[in-house]
Amino acid sequence: MSRNIYLSLSNFLNRLESLLFFGQRGRPPMEFALTGMPGFESNLPKLSTENQSPDKFSLKELLGDGILWAVPKHRRTIEKRLKRKFGVPEYNWKPLIAKTNLRTCNQCGHDHELGILCPHCYKKVEQETRLMQEKIQQELGLEPIENEVIVLYEGEQMEKSADGTSERKVRVVEMEKPRPVWFSKNLMQKTTTQPAETKEVKPSNLG
Amino acid sequence: MSSLVRQIARLNLTQRNLLQNSVKLLAPVSNSLHTTAALNAKWNKANQGPRKWLEYNKIVHPPQKPDEEPRKAYVCHMRTNIKYSPDKMWYIASFVRGMSVDEAVKQLSFVLKKGATHVKEVILEAQEMAVRQHNVEYKSNLWIAESFVGKGRYFRGIRRHARGRQGRVEYKHCHYFVRLEEGQPPKDYYLPAAQSPEQQLEKWIQEMRSRKVINSL
Repeated sequence: MSRNIYLSLSNFLNRLESLLFFGQRGRPPMEFALTGMPGFESNLPKLSTENQSPDKFSLKELLGDGILWAVPKHRRTIEKRLKRKFGVPEYNWKPLIAKTNLRTCNQCGHDHELGILCPHCYKKVEQETRLMQEKIQQELGLEPIENEVIVLYEGEQMEKSADGTSERKVRVVEMEKPRPVWFSKNLMQKTTTQPAETKEVKPSNLG
Repeated sequence: MSSLVRQIARLNLTQRNLLQNSVKLLAPVSNSLHTTAALNAKWNKANQGPRKWLEYNKIVHPPQKPDEEPRKAYVCHMRTNIKYSPDKMWYIASFVRGMSVDEAVKQLSFVLKKGATHVKEVILEAQEMAVRQHNVEYKSNLWIAESFVGKGRYFRGIRRHARGRQGRVEYKHCHYFVRLEEGQPPKDYYLPAAQSPEQQLEKWIQEMRSRKVINSL
């Protein structure tokens, strides 16, 4: 049994030496170039030379306690481990917490965060906007912008101004599809308005 | 020396190799779209992952007597070798434990983590399995009884640092296991159930009455 222990130890040391000295480049690493030189003795711990004979080669003499590089010195306590895993309650609690600001969209039924547009509904809006933009680019190209653009859907006409005589210059783009149900024409009037004083309907052509 | 050489030979998977292999794969199946070539090797048992969890689904329970309480239906499902760290996945698995299926899916949609999408998919798959194969009547009447993570395959690689030094890189995979049970989730899964004022009063009276004066007659 002792012979086995001796063999395994010697094997380990041989392997370690070969790993350190016959590295990837086939020569020892450059860090060891100046070990043993007269001017660079201060870095090595002073060992009594009487104990070891000059012929016998020893790793300990050369590297000292540096053999235990980058190794944990103490066992991580359970408190440290738990702190790392869970954090601190008021400051950085690491486990996930359920969000209470989620609501269901009344239009589509998907969930969204409170105060944020429903992503599902917004995707529809984004798609429609992209179609409008493509159509506008197709028709008007890269001309300089001097007048506003009005997009009309299938079966819609330009709304006439109140006086009827003045016609502002407007670039009209017509889309070949019916107006989406959720896209109201009346976007500029606020929903919370006071009851009307006159019987005149303003604005006109309400969808 | 030879064993060392063998070890080094085994380390033939470097970062570049993995990238190249993953680019080569153009499989239409979504499960294997993002897997490396090493993970697809069918001869390697380590790639299949554990299979004992799914055996629970195959158990046939004996018929119950009419006066016995009906056994709750359950379904066990898992996904193996997800390219995600098990330590990070643990947070999501423990988050979802004890929630009803609808609540879990809703909350996971707003968790900004990669593992959350995997867990959500697994739960939805399990829900469908429960309704189709495990005699569950209402798909909303399910809650997450067990949800945990296991360590999958780890591939090792090397990265370079300054000054000619090298660092070890680990490409981690994990398995995710879930068991859905029929019924409403319990109110005291993690914390004790919130007590009503009457219950709190009862408890206080009980504590007060159980006090003992020591060294007395």
